[in-house]
Amino acid sequence: MSESIIPESELEEVELYHPKSWWTEKVFSQDAKLIAIQYGLTAFAIGFVALVLSWFMRIQIAFPEMAIISEGTYYQFITMHGMIMVVYLLTALFLGAFGNYMIPLMVGARDMVFPYLNMISYWTYLIAVLVLFVSFFTPGGPTGAGWTLYPPQAILGGTPGQETGIILMLVSLCIFIVGFTMGGLNYVITILQARTRGMTLMRMPLTIWGIFTATVLALFAFPALFVSAVMMLFDKLLMTSFFMPALVEFGENLTYGGGSPILFQHLFWFFGHPEVYIVALPAFGIVSDLISIHARKNIFGFRMMVWAIVGIGALSFIVWAHHMYVSGMNPYFGFFFATTTLIIAVPTALKVYNWILTLWKGNIHLTIPMLFCLGFIVTFLNGGLTGLFLGNVIVDVPLSDTYFVVAHFHMVMGIAPVLVILGAIYHWYPLITGKMMHDGMGRFHFWVTFVGSYLIYFPMHYLGFIGVPRRYYEMGQTEALYTSSAADLNVFITIAALAVGFAQLVFVFNVFWSAKNGEVAEKNPWKATSLEWRTPEQPPIHGNFGKELPVVYRWAYDYSVPGAEDDFIPQDVPNEKVTLAEGYSELGVEKT
Amino acid sequence: MSILSILSQKPWTSDQAKIDDKHSGKSSSMPLPRIGLYVLMTVIGVLFTLFSVAYIGRMAYGDWRILPEPPLLWFNSLIIIMSSFAFHKATISSKENNHKRTREYLFLAGALTLGFITGQLFVWRELVSFGYFVSTNPSYAFFYLLTALHILHLLGGLIAWLLVIFKSFTLEDESSNFSLNVNLCAIYWHFLLVVWLVLFAMLLLT
Repeated sequence: MSESIIPESELEEVELYHPKSWWTEKVFSQDAKLIAIQYGLTAFAIGFVALVLSWFMRIQIAFPEMAIISEGTYYQFITMHGMIMVVYLLTALFLGAFGNYMIPLMVGARDMVFPYLNMISYWTYLIAVLVLFVSFFTPGGPTGAGWTLYPPQAILGGTPGQETGIILMLVSLCIFIVGFTMGGLNYVITILQARTRGMTLMRMPLTIWGIFTATVLALFAFPALFVSAVMMLFDKLLMTSFFMPALVEFGENLTYGGGSPILFQHLFWFFGHPEVYIVALPAFGIVSDLISIHARKNIFGFRMMVWAIVGIGALSFIVWAHHMYVSGMNPYFGFFFATTTLIIAVPTALKVYNWILTLWKGNIHLTIPMLFCLGFIVTFLNGGLTGLFLGNVIVDVPLSDTYFVVAHFHMVMGIAPVLVILGAIYHWYPLITGKMMHDGMGRFHFWVTFVGSYLIYFPMHYLGFIGVPRRYYEMGQTEALYTSSAADLNVFITIAALAVGFAQLVFVFNVFWSAKNGEVAEKNPWKATSLEWRTPEQPPIHGNFGKELPVVYRWAYDYSVPGAEDDFIPQDVPNEKVTLAEGYSELGVEKT
Repeated sequence: MSILSILSQKPWTSDQAKIDDKHSGKSSSMPLPRIGLYVLMTVIGVLFTLFSVAYIGRMAYGDWRILPEPPLLWFNSLIIIMSSFAFHKATISSKENNHKRTREYLFLAGALTLGFITGQLFVWRELVSFGYFVSTNPSYAFFYLLTALHILHLLGGLIAWLLVIFKSFTLEDESSNFSLNVNLCAIYWHFLLVVWLVLFAMLLLT
């Protein structure tokens, strides 16, 4: 076989920024990897606050006679829990943390294309988080308008936090969106323009496809939230009436008049529904890679997986009004959105089939990342199927605003993506820290989180069916609806929730403990093919790759290739350099 | 290459691998700042489109009052057209490496932009003096909101303009980047001109 010429790198080397002081190296760093860690730690910190809020709410629901928090506080906690988890934790983690860490490494770049902008993006995000957090300590406290912030009640008297909480929430969202746009520009352009030689779009791992499509969605969807936040700020501060109809409060006519609360709902959900996929698509991508790696098999139907990601992304913009079936909209309108909602289930189901077919006859290693992936598949399937219920107008109307909805969205966009995030952290922890996470603690964490989540959310479906409404501080004298068995079930759910919460503390402990005491990770411990594991140092240093950028010769899924001695061929290894297994003259060709 | 032909590639086949191995890794030959600006303009475009959709949707309600059209708006539109034109001339001169002329046009463009912003503020004053406050009617609220947002985007552009002016003083000759920077400013100004003209047309059509 002739020695093929390895093409020289044609990419002009980008001048890398080199920090000049401790501050610019460790704090105001322009290195995407450090920015990723900053994003991750900030998101986890504020996410932990949201988790603790949920404990208080659960204790209140299970033991209303204790009155651990007041009615107003309950609404404030519900609002902050929802908004923090969806925007400040999940979006920031998937795009800010995983996006920043993985994009340059996986496409073979030294850093993001606009490192300075990338740094500003993080600090803007931090300001957004702080502005939100400060609202806990302002007079009146944070807003209690529910995470959807529906007007008119969000800015009217009687809603907790209508003094300053709502203003800080809207300002914080605007800052977040500005910061995200800066990061988003980086992610998209780095993926399009800074890939290494040989890395075509279709050779990129699905993780990058997921993050890329989600970022594009976010760049289109977040402006809708920005628009609604700005207009509501005008309504609150300048007494305009964009969203405010004529109102009578305590027998007094307010100056508002003629605004449309439904307009807000349209704008909010035009952002809100793509937001689900902004969180889900990176999770889909990451889970595809993790399954392929830990089952030692190429991903089943790679092209279809890419098409599904792109297709879901496009469809996600024409389903938003399925969140508004009870807003009194035209039934034909509802019919249209029910149809598109059911259509989006097709590419989504396709992905689930492909994950299962990847596992089929794979060499499945039940590592912790794989456990989380398996947990994700069933959880996402469960949450997705209840989505089909709620996507139909006639089923949604009676179930709307019950615990069934709470169970649905926690399964599909709470637990499912979080399982992927956790799996991904166990998977990439050796890359980021050079150490392995403690296996025993990890397995304990997985089983308690996975089983516990089901103990929390399965009974909630039942509560929803019998009609228990969401967002109620206590059920009072409503025995006909809220039977004693439902009350017992709520106690059970609360105990499960606290147990799952405890398991997360074990995880946090494991993260810090293993960074110091963990077993030193061997190079590329999971034997993966993608470029992030091909850096000369592990963890990768500033500039990621050595003197030369890697050159890519194959897609990211060459696992168990017939004829190769190892069961994986990294992306930057040409065919000629693959060690052949005994009895083979070429990859895939047996000696005769 | 079209997006469809990219999506139909089979990266695992050896035939495709031969083609892919030669791929430079870039999806476009455009310089990075230009792509960055295009993506940014897309996002800003989405933002203004959504505001416009809300505006048009709101117009359908019965209580919508017709906005007075101060003649000053026509004058302001003329000024912003001229500033865009000045940027256009600046681009041409910068491509000819005529830095002095470029700088003159840049100053003119900036001055005209500031003139436009001042003119808009005068329009606001005029409306307020007639008693058309932001909270009087949704049509006025939209007018203030949209013009304010447009001015904010111009101010953002002026930061870039300041940087380019600053660069024009410290520049060595033969710097091709400078010409790109001037060009990008011009593109952004043309874009904001189009945004303004669409907004203005929408205001006139109420």
